[in-house]
This record gives sequence, C-alpha cells and structure tokens, in this order.
Amino acid sequence: MSGVAITGVGQTTYRRRHAERSSGELMQIAAEAAARDAGLELREIDAFVLGVAPDALCGVNCPEKSSFFLPVGRPVMRVNTGGTTGGAAFHLATTMVAAGEAHHVLAIGLERMGQAVTSQAVFNTIFDPIYEKDIALSTLTMAAMRASMLMQRYGYTAEHWATVAARNFRNARANPYAQVRREITVQEVKDSPLLAWPIHLYEACPMSEGACAVVVYDRPPEGRTAWVRGIGSYTDTYAMGDRTRRREGSLVDLLTLQLAARRAYQEAGLDDPPDRLRVVELHAPFSSAEAMAYPALGLCTAAGGPAFAEGTLDPQARVRVNPSGGPQPANPVSTTALVRIAECANQVRERAGKMQVDDADWAVATCQGGASQFSMAVVLAAARG
Amino acid sequence: MTAAYLRTAALELSWADASRSLQDLIFSVARRALDESGVEFERLDSVVLAAHDMVDGRSLSSMVSAPAAGSYLRDEIRLSDDAAAAVATASMRVRAGLSRECMVCAWARASEGDGERISTALFDPFYARPLGLTELSVSALRASVALREFPAYAGGREAAAERRAGQAAEDPRAPAGHAAPVPAPLPLRAAELPRVCDIVCALIVSAERTDVRIAGHGMSCEPYWPGDRDLLALPALRDATERALRSAARAPAEVSLYELDGLTLFDEALALEAVGGARHGQGMASVAEAMNPCGGYALGYCAPAMGLVRVAEAARRLRERGAGLALASGSSTVAAQTQTALVLECEP
Repeated sequence: MSGVAITGVGQTTYRRRHAERSSGELMQIAAEAAARDAGLELREIDAFVLGVAPDALCGVNCPEKSSFFLPVGRPVMRVNTGGTTGGAAFHLATTMVAAGEAHHVLAIGLERMGQAVTSQAVFNTIFDPIYEKDIALSTLTMAAMRASMLMQRYGYTAEHWATVAARNFRNARANPYAQVRREITVQEVKDSPLLAWPIHLYEACPMSEGACAVVVYDRPPEGRTAWVRGIGSYTDTYAMGDRTRRREGSLVDLLTLQLAARRAYQEAGLDDPPDRLRVVELHAPFSSAEAMAYPALGLCTAAGGPAFAEGTLDPQARVRVNPSGGPQPANPVSTTALVRIAECANQVRERAGKMQVDDADWAVATCQGGASQFSMAVVLAAARG
Repeated sequence: MTAAYLRTAALELSWADASRSLQDLIFSVARRALDESGVEFERLDSVVLAAHDMVDGRSLSSMVSAPAAGSYLRDEIRLSDDAAAAVATASMRVRAGLSRECMVCAWARASEGDGERISTALFDPFYARPLGLTELSVSALRASVALREFPAYAGGREAAAERRAGQAAEDPRAPAGHAAPVPAPLPLRAAELPRVCDIVCALIVSAERTDVRIAGHGMSCEPYWPGDRDLLALPALRDATERALRSAARAPAEVSLYELDGLTLFDEALALEAVGGARHGQGMASVAEAMNPCGGYALGYCAPAMGLVRVAEAARRLRERGAGLALASGSSTVAAQTQTALVLECEP
C-alpha cells in the first residue's frame, strides 16, 4: 500500500446506549468530525464505505443506509465482516484510493447494540445452528476457553488478566470518547463478578454504542500525516476445533494475525517491529485476548508472553499497548476495529491529546472478528516510505 | 495500472436441497469456477464475498461459509451489498496490485430464511414498518407510478411477463422449485414477481488477460426514504451507469447487450430505460428481448447474489458473440437505494 494516508478522524463518545441519538445522527457526528479534521466538507468526499455487523444487534437491517447524511449520487458500499467490519471498511476505502477510484474516501462504522434485548443471544446465532448453538457458545464462553488454554500452555495467571485490565482502564482515563473513564484497580477487577472462568466482569468489554469515521486520501496536505504503510488481512477456518491441534498454530496462536502482521510489516518495510513500533492498539475485547496478539505481532515469543504482558504495565515501556485503553473501556462491535486504526492515526499524527505517546512514528492496529476467524493488521507511519 | 479480467463463472440455482448444506453448495460452485477457469486453488490470493445476514438464517453469514468459498488463510472481505459491488471490489483489488486472482462468490439461501420479515426489517421501525413496507411493496409503488405515467406499460406487461416465463422455462439451469409465491402487492401481478430460490454464483477476477475485460464500473446512491426518490428514473442506476461508461471511456450507444438486475418485471423495464437501453416510457415493450434473455427475475431471484449473476451472464453472452460491450448492474438494499454498474468488453 503506497501513497494512501489517513487525513481525518472523527468519533462520537461511546456509551452503553445513545438513547437521544438516531443512527443517522451518530454517523453524521463522526463523519463531520472526520471531514473537519481532514479540512474538508462532507460534500467533498468522493465515496463512502459503511460497516455494521451483525445487523441483528439493533433490530434494523442495514441500519446505516437510513442515515440522512448519505450523499445522493455518490458511491456507497457496505461491509460486514463481524468484529473486523470497521477494519474491512477501512481496507476497502484504501483500496478504492489505491485503485484510483477516488481521492477522498470516508470509512465509517456504526454500532447500535444497545438496542438489543440481549446481545449474547444474537452472538449465539453466529455459531453453527446444529452443533454449537445448543452448547450455549457465545463470544464470552469462547474467550474464556481461550484464556484457560493460554494459562495452561504458556503460564499466564489470573493476575495477568487483572493487571492488564487495570492498565487499560487507567489509560482510558485520558480518552475523551471512552465509555468507562474511571480507574478500576487490580483488586476491583479481581473482585468483580465471575462471568465465565477465568474471566471476571472487568476483564470483559462493555456493550457500547457509537460511531467512528476515518478519511483516507491520496494527496495529504503538508505536515504530520499517518501514512498507510501496510495492511494484512486473513481468514481462518470456521470451526474453532479445527484450530486447536493443527501444525500451523493452535487456536490461541492466532495464525491469521501472524500472517496479517507479516504481510503488513513486509509491505511497510518494517523488519524489526519490536524496535520500531511505539504504539500498538489491540482489538482485544477481553484482557486475556491481548495475550494472543503479542507473539502474533512479533513483539515476543509465545513463551515470553507473560513477561511481555508484565512489561506493558510500565508507563515508560518502549512499546505502548492500548494508550487509548483499547476495547475494554468501550467496545462498539462494528466499529471497534476502525477505532483502533483511528487511535493509531491520531498517535502518528500527534493529535492524541493526553493519550499522546512520544515519538510515535510507527504504530500497528489489529482487527479481530468472527470468533477470531478474521484478522487484520494495519501499519501506519509518519514517513511515506 | 493493471487491468482486471473475468474468468469463467459458475452458477447454481436450487430450492431447499436437503441433501446439501449451504457450505456444500458454496464449495461446489466455487470449485466449479476454479476448474472451468483452469485456475489452481493455490493461485487464488484473495476472496470477495457478498452475502446478507439473516437471508440464510445466520447473523454473521460469512463465518460458516467463507472457507467454502476458498478463503482459508487468504485475504477475504465480505460485502453486505449486492454482489455487483463485490465484482467492482475485486476489480479494484486487481487494479491496485493487491491481488492477481480474486474469487468473487455470492450466495443467498432463501429456503433458510424468512424473506418477508427480513425485507420488512430494512425499513424504519417507527414510520415505515407499521405500514408493512417491504422491498416488493416499493417495487409495487414504482409499478403504480409507471402505469400512471407510461400508457405503454399497461399494454405490454402481459406479453413481457409471458415471454419472461417462457425464457425461464427453457433455461436448463432453472431450479427444481421456488419459494411459495407471496400475494402480489397491487398493481403487480403474480407473473411479474421474482421467483425466489437458493442461488450461489462464483467468478474469478484476474490480472491475467482473458477474453473479457472489466472496462469500467460505477456506483451511486439514492435517498433512503421512498418518498424522497424518483421511483421512475432510478437516478442511482443512471448515475452508476454514467460513471461506469465514463471510466471505460465508452459511449452509451456502444453497449451491445444488457444484463440488468430488477426485482420485478417493472423494475427490469425501468432499469432498461435508466441505462439508455430503451426510450423513455418504452421499457416494457422491449424488456424481455433487450435484456436478461435467460428470464431474469423469472428464472430465479435472491438478494444479494443477483448482481454477480448478471455479470456472469453478461460475460457468458459476450463470449458467445465473440465481441462487444456489455452493461451489467446490481441493485442493493434498501429497495435499490444503491446501484453498481459494470462495463464489460470482449476483445476478439
């Protein structure tokens, strides 16, 4: 990917429920903010890529198409790849620019899951209706099984999950868009209700609504810009059982993220990621899920994961993990992946406010979806390359 | 920039085939597209899918079905849009140098979902849904306006519908059955309604030269609310077509065949007018002969696969002729709010 940059970012605040806002209003707020950040009017955007998934969470199919800001007479596309939807929308937007289809493309993700009577019942329907739905498989129980596998294989402990969660909440205090902006101590995390062993309430993400938009452009203005240096995107088998004992890598080794990161680094010319990357925004809705990403991104070995996790607790760590707090303080499912990219762009552009990390010349965002079946890695840099 | 070409497509229409799962259906069609194109599976480097949640009874449709379309450990994206947009996406990937062999696969298994309820859920829950609005009822509104504005539509509809039924009956790919017909919303008649079935279509977009090139594509959008739309002119389709022809540097008069997506006979006729294939108010007179000679909506219909079916049919017909320029389109939710048009060129 060359010659494509992020020139604008816009977000709404994330809340359990935006009762006072329609879907169209949420999208408009994010889209106008992104356009303004890019120095544009919305009418100057050439094309739009929308993302919502799954539709069933808000009770309206294709809910973003009712948005009144959508332009008549311009290309509008719609992506749905589960949790990676926001990242896939971004990927398609960059493809449109790279193919010379458009100069300015706006990728926008919307989440209205607060409208769902029970989101876990909806998430249960993503699984196989014959073999899996009846065993109450959900995103939560799926994450719990992986967390226990990580503990058994690599030596992670309950302390790791709690301290990583507390770090994310601490970082989120500086994030003006986060849903949870109060410090939650390690002890509070441990004392929170057990949802599915070993995951406690504060080690899981909240239900969140909101919208995020990003403008990509092939002719960025002078000044600090977030260049899209590499994107990798890979899909795995559907059945998680197929990923548990295969030669290429187990369920918790996140083979697809390994491949995605490898491709993104290769495109970016980044051959020493741990030394060059300053910011990592992980799409990990559970603190334990972060552990799968560390080695997949090449930041440590699998066996060295627990020590790396402990190192991320240091505010002066070379690689800053989730300076925004990540998805734990806000997880608007359809758009969380795009938020990770947006936060990385803000860091590289030095527009991250109180979350700003010094010398953030390189950043990587991850996107996960479909019970970790879909993975993306997006590398951004201040230099065009 | 690299050009994008079409390889041989595979298409299967069926109805409630209990002997095969959705994955089986997708796998067999994707496999056939590879085999008939002479492309080794290992050469595929990306996959673009088009599928709607809920149409096949699942809330994240591509999880269970993406690997069957060849996406295992590959770059894959799923559009929740008509599949003509998926072809455009694959074309952009190839042209941008991101892929050399891209599988485009779309499916819709209406026998596993409740199409009426899914369609109703597209509309605003407060103002539109209580009226019982569906995509089909928007087509009925469109037909009503057409009958009022274009006297020729009333006179030509019966013959056109008969012709469509005959074309569909003659096509060897016709499915063994269809969904039970729904009551026709007035003024539409039963013979003018889509014959809903299960559809899987697969096509490989390649950087390697073949006889059919994607010469251009365009997309456009209309307002959400039917009351804000020009129901007759289909401005999004007209605009998408203009964009596609402009990007192909070709004139409307050069188009020699049309494969246009329309939910009903009236949608097809109005689409033909919108793209310049028939004179204003005369679409019904020539719709059955000028476009979709396989029978169009009457052969089999299920969103969001139809745009890919139209592209595949356009490529097949171009190959039969050995030369020419084709226009194919796909209309997407909500009730043709967004449209994609592709210009295909066959070079002798």
